[in-house]
Amino acid sequence: MDDSVHSRPRVPETLGTQTLNFTLNGEPRTLDVAPNAVLLDVLREQLGLGGTKKGCDHGQCGACTVHVDGQAMNSCLRLAVMCEGQQVTTVEGLARDGELHPVQQNFLECDAYQCGYCTPGQMMSATALLNDERIGTDDASVKEAMSGNICRCGAYKNIVEAIQKSRVQLGHDATRKEGAA
Amino acid sequence: MNDMTRPDFDKPRVVGQRTPRIDGEFKLTGRAGYTGELHVDGMLYGYPVSATIANGVLESLDLDAARAMPGVVDIFHHGHFEALHRSPNSMAHGDMVNEVRLPFEDERIYYHGQYVALVVAETFEQARAAAQRVVAHYREERGAVVSLLQTEAEGTLQESAGSSRGDPEAAFGGAEVKVDSTYHIAAESHLQMEMHATLAEWRDAGKRLVVHESTQGVFFQRNAMARVFGLAQENLEVISHYVGSGFGNKLFMWPHSVATAVAARMIGRPVKVVLPRQQDMTSGGNRPASRQRIRLGADRSGKLTSVIHDSTTETSLVHQYVDTCGSATPSFYACDNVSTSQRVLEVNHGTPCPMRAPGEVSGIFALETAMDELAVALEMDPVELRLKNNAEQDPASGLPWSSKHLDECLTSAAKRFGWEQRNPAVGSMRDGDEIIGYGMASCTWSAGRQPCEARVELRADGSLFAACGTQDIGTGTYTIVAQAVAELTGAELSRIEVKLGETSLPAGPLSGGSMATATVLPAVAAAVRDALDAIKEVAVGSGGAFEGSDADALSAEAGGLTDGERRVSFEEILETSKLSSVNGQGSAAPGDERSEYAFRSFGAHFVEVRIDPEISRVRVARVVSSIDIGRAINPPTARNQVEGGIVMGVGMGLLEKLDYDPRDARLINANVADYIVPTHADAPEIDVELLDYPDFKHNEFGGRGVGEIGLTGVASAIANAIYHATGKRHRDLPITIEALLASS
Repeated sequence: MDDSVHSRPRVPETLGTQTLNFTLNGEPRTLDVAPNAVLLDVLREQLGLGGTKKGCDHGQCGACTVHVDGQAMNSCLRLAVMCEGQQVTTVEGLARDGELHPVQQNFLECDAYQCGYCTPGQMMSATALLNDERIGTDDASVKEAMSGNICRCGAYKNIVEAIQKSRVQLGHDATRKEGAA
Repeated sequence: MNDMTRPDFDKPRVVGQRTPRIDGEFKLTGRAGYTGELHVDGMLYGYPVSATIANGVLESLDLDAARAMPGVVDIFHHGHFEALHRSPNSMAHGDMVNEVRLPFEDERIYYHGQYVALVVAETFEQARAAAQRVVAHYREERGAVVSLLQTEAEGTLQESAGSSRGDPEAAFGGAEVKVDSTYHIAAESHLQMEMHATLAEWRDAGKRLVVHESTQGVFFQRNAMARVFGLAQENLEVISHYVGSGFGNKLFMWPHSVATAVAARMIGRPVKVVLPRQQDMTSGGNRPASRQRIRLGADRSGKLTSVIHDSTTETSLVHQYVDTCGSATPSFYACDNVSTSQRVLEVNHGTPCPMRAPGEVSGIFALETAMDELAVALEMDPVELRLKNNAEQDPASGLPWSSKHLDECLTSAAKRFGWEQRNPAVGSMRDGDEIIGYGMASCTWSAGRQPCEARVELRADGSLFAACGTQDIGTGTYTIVAQAVAELTGAELSRIEVKLGETSLPAGPLSGGSMATATVLPAVAAAVRDALDAIKEVAVGSGGAFEGSDADALSAEAGGLTDGERRVSFEEILETSKLSSVNGQGSAAPGDERSEYAFRSFGAHFVEVRIDPEISRVRVARVVSSIDIGRAINPPTARNQVEGGIVMGVGMGLLEKLDYDPRDARLINANVADYIVPTHADAPEIDVELLDYPDFKHNEFGGRGVGEIGLTGVASAIANAIYHATGKRHRDLPITIEALLASS
């Protein structure tokens, strides 16, 4: 993704920096980060990837959810340097070759958002839970699993509908039945 | 002959049809730029330091350690700040603010969270680290007013916020059946997902200010900033392309915006401030707590003879905010004797401000719960009681309603809910170990409209462009503007570009009060018609695509003009005449209809609660609602707003409460874990029906707005359902587990 429009504030050397090597949305990246820099802030401020949102900075709202090695995590609770050698996926990495991920497409079609600010976090949690065999496929299980992602606009009904439509399209039911057999 | 450019809005093709949001892909891919994630060259980061006491004096600040921290550029405070002026704070002049006191104006501390300094540094991490090293010395004083709910103080009567007709006191005295109850609602937080954020940049050697702000009103912020900084409005630009919602606390400017702009000017570099969530909650607005007494009198048949609604709400010590609870009451029921009064009490809190359905949602909780109490006293079905007192015209103004279908809302929602299966006996309905309660309430919100301007371009590249200086706060304004343009031109939605949220665009309204749709669309329509007139003139002119034809014989069709035999696209017409575009300007405003009709939306909520008496747990299982909002321009986004309002109503009813420490008025739960809002798991099954009665007296599109009404009445329907399940009347919100335990 072209982030050249964003200026990148330089980290003054007086604070000391650490080199971080990790994979971001499939691309190997090396960058210098402050030791107290949180992954969320590095994404938003240093890398210009604003899709990952800050809603509380305390791990309470889920707006900053990203995937770290395939697991949904609150990026506000994670120092950037902890990601050494890890695979980080943000909402910017969901669409492939200009085509929306089925979860994104279903969020669009189900109107599973209003202001859109919690939406990246909702979708990152959704894509993770669709791959998580521990989580039941019924609405109640999905709602329970998604309850770390607050939507103050209250679009919960449509979000669950979008997730369940995605499940059918992604064929997760079939896969998991096979897995259970 | 019909004017062919005026479509038949009884049979629209695009308006009223399901239309996915045109800004959806930006939001879903992370490309929508919300204020807090914007960057400009040379930008610095600001991090506010806020007071840890709620009442006293800031005696001194130790800044040496913070100043010595890496990357720190400057620290602003009472002793190091520009001299500015307050905004006149006028609604009529469009410069209203949420807190008239300027940042760092004096050294008195009026509330917990009040800004005492702003640290500015090269990076976010450096600003945050240095802010934590600022040491403030306070002289805390006793006597902080903790909350309206923890004092007997009456507050100051607001004469202009009350009303009276008939002789309510005498009628109440002589009533055959009476209810006299007092209700309390805790202060609430908007808790919009995107915190307040400002990015301020001075250009032209400090003469011109460009501000990116997460705001529901770019023009209000521009006008207020012009007053505060003594700038000509032309030298100020406020931009807000995407807003992570607001619910009222982003309508008007807050002090953080002023502090950010001052820091940017004094340093000479752009500065960005995103309020930390704690400060957003202490200092970025709240719904004030309320205390309301309702007295209802009725005859034995259930006909209301008296309604007396007396309210008190909180304001801060630095700004007067009146959350008028009784504003819907005079229009709600057919009754000859009605009065409302409003008092305001100063408390040591951050300044309260409008929050979704401001005032009315609190008032409707009290009124609709009192109506349920009256139904119980009369041994009458609560739906029947409401139908019996339905106001056929607006009893407040005496005017006929432009369009009202509350009776249909009540009967339709009751039928879909299965209300006829309700056994009115308390605690009589069970499912296994759970007690089931059925409750209902009516809901309402006024239908306003403001003046508005818009601009539309038809371009030679085949695109259509529409612009208005209003905002899309998540309600879907971008999309309905595109729908209006598509409706009037026949162009494909994918060819229409919409620009909102800039003061460089034609003046648009606040995104608030459920007024944006009815305000903006008629102005957009006027601009489209103006652009069509312009392109017709081009088409019939010398060398034009319809040279020599009569312009009046042409009409818009499928993104072009037709004379009935031949259609030529807009781009071809422009190409033929060697033009890049034509421009249309439009404006629209409410007119004489405002003195001929009363405009208000109504609806009804039916709620099923399930209570586990063993652990005093209450869950809202089901909400069935019918709402009459005129025409829904985009039904899925309109329904989404009502559903979201219902979810917020579950929070208001059962969960949400700002907790102020009774010892010192500090806000205890200023975070998203301790201030509880509904999650996925709390969201009930929701069934919303939007009646489809276009209100053409309100505007040509027939829509009355939908943002507030879904929230009103929900908390009352929940409380009424809990009464039905338990026999305990809860008059204080939220109805917590503790409150249920105390009553069991």
